[in-house]
Amino acid sequence: MILSECKNGHNPLVPYLGKLVKVRDLASEIKLFSVEMLDGGREALGSYFPGQFAFLSAFGVGEAPFGIASTPRRSSTLDFAVNRLGSVTNELHLLGEGDFVGVRGPLGNWFPMDEFKGKNLIVLGGGIGGAPLRPVIQTVLDNRQNYGHFTILWAARHPSLLVFTDEYDEWRSAPDTRLHLTVDQPDAVWDHNVGLITELLEKVSPSPEDAVSITCGPPVMIYYVNKVLDKLGFKPEQNYVTLEARMHCGVGKCGRCNLGEKLVCVDGPVFSMADVGKLSESFL
Amino acid sequence: MKMTAPEGLAVWLDRLAQEVNLIAPREIDGVLLYRPVRNSGEIVWEFTRPLLSIKEAFFPATERLLTIEKIGQQIKLTETLPKGEQVIFGVRPCDARGIKMLEALFTDTEPSDPYFTQRRENTTLIGLACRTMGATCFCTSLGGAPDDPGDMDVMLYEVENGFVIQVMTEKGQALLSRFSLETDDISENESEFRASYLCEQAERIVIPEMNAWAVKFDDPYWEQVSERCLSCRICAYVCPTCRCFDVRDEDLLSGNGHNQSERIRCWDSCAREAYRRIAGGHNPRQAKGQRLRNRFLCKFDYYPRQSALGTAACTGCGRCIDACPVNIDITEVMQHIVEVSQ
Repeated sequence: MILSECKNGHNPLVPYLGKLVKVRDLASEIKLFSVEMLDGGREALGSYFPGQFAFLSAFGVGEAPFGIASTPRRSSTLDFAVNRLGSVTNELHLLGEGDFVGVRGPLGNWFPMDEFKGKNLIVLGGGIGGAPLRPVIQTVLDNRQNYGHFTILWAARHPSLLVFTDEYDEWRSAPDTRLHLTVDQPDAVWDHNVGLITELLEKVSPSPEDAVSITCGPPVMIYYVNKVLDKLGFKPEQNYVTLEARMHCGVGKCGRCNLGEKLVCVDGPVFSMADVGKLSESFL
Repeated sequence: MKMTAPEGLAVWLDRLAQEVNLIAPREIDGVLLYRPVRNSGEIVWEFTRPLLSIKEAFFPATERLLTIEKIGQQIKLTETLPKGEQVIFGVRPCDARGIKMLEALFTDTEPSDPYFTQRRENTTLIGLACRTMGATCFCTSLGGAPDDPGDMDVMLYEVENGFVIQVMTEKGQALLSRFSLETDDISENESEFRASYLCEQAERIVIPEMNAWAVKFDDPYWEQVSERCLSCRICAYVCPTCRCFDVRDEDLLSGNGHNQSERIRCWDSCAREAYRRIAGGHNPRQAKGQRLRNRFLCKFDYYPRQSALGTAACTGCGRCIDACPVNIDITEVMQHIVEVSQ
């Protein structure tokens, strides 16, 4: 039984309670948490869009923002991929099924999936940056007829760091869908591409015609991927990215995530590279 | 207009202190701060401005957001919204403007922050006009004035035989109705009185145009001026408009064997090295110059574009100039921007 005396519907800084119903290893040091929302959180987090994020609380330690890795159409739970890197993620990794977490969200803007209809899509994910792209992939696969050619470029430093490996077969088998994998440091059994995602992108060389690219990964990857996209003839308006920033409120108050005058939490995390180009400050 | 004698005002403040949380300039271990007072005798009347602004009374340095109780498998969250009425006496016009700037962001920009907003609703501001400007004050250059009553609920002007009273809001009127203050009528009207309330009002510095800052984004000046910056963050803590915060959970000592913690937020500053560092270590503002630039551009370029007020997030109080251990002077930075943009 859960007690929550918060009338928290109106307090944007108080989390809703959720229960971990599934925890599984996704990659080395990366776990996928499936959260069932309880009480008021059921409604508040019942609807959300690809690219939005939420704060996960490890009670007693703190909270941190994570991209939501699920879609409401496919999942009644909220999925979060969590890489063990700091105090909050370390505590989250100690939790198991049946434990409680806090969730605040959904927050931020999202990929304009409706505007992408009829276009060829190129999705580029690096490491755990693949997490917020999974809802994009699932949305395209669930509405396959609404989109053109679908190309997924999926990368990690090492095969053990690739996320959602058990879903590759589904992605590959969808109509008119190509999945290209690459790692910088292959192991003995690796039989896909070797090298940076930028090299893979040059090799695959998608046409910019009627196309949109969507990239998420480390800042340096986002930067160089978009250099290659420029070279391939993509215009900044065609290239979408989702940016990561340190943040503590998610609702435009704490000031932590500013890029010049824009706040990643409320003006983002999704930006077109045309919008990124207008920022005074670099995300790199 | 009405005025009150110093004795009458003291009696009134004594009564206020008994009924509500009265906050006023008070000396604590040799430092002047806005702190709760028990009676008018604890109030310091002659001052330029306290070390910290009244920001503390709305956005405390450390503030509890909720408590978290783990009882076996259960989790109990209790939000801890601030309660209780407070009256701040001796507010300087620059600090009242600072609260208006914070209000534009915390309350008027959706979703509103319930902690700040609740405190703002529960607080009445009684201003005390400045008779002189301090050595590092420059409010007049930013549209403020030492005797500007604009953002107060009640404004007091010290004159020869007491204080002239100007009621600015219904909230101020309500306070004066609840706690009656002994007053005398005076014949002067406001414009006559304000003209006779002598205070130097000259603009002390030239403020750069809003668009001049972005042009200087890549100026090597930022790296130069930041060389001596210690990243100590005192500029942000004394600033009436700096509002960045950090959130974390802290353990609470508990008598009943339950595992209890509190979620707190505390002041933070963009001068801090880890401020923008993300998981994995990437930091787009690794260099001190990048961080110091953010402090100034936030005030004079970003905030005016983000806030419905459209003004710079600087009141000209000069506290950061006095507080900086290495003499980084916000007015010198502005002069640099003005000079290079000409």
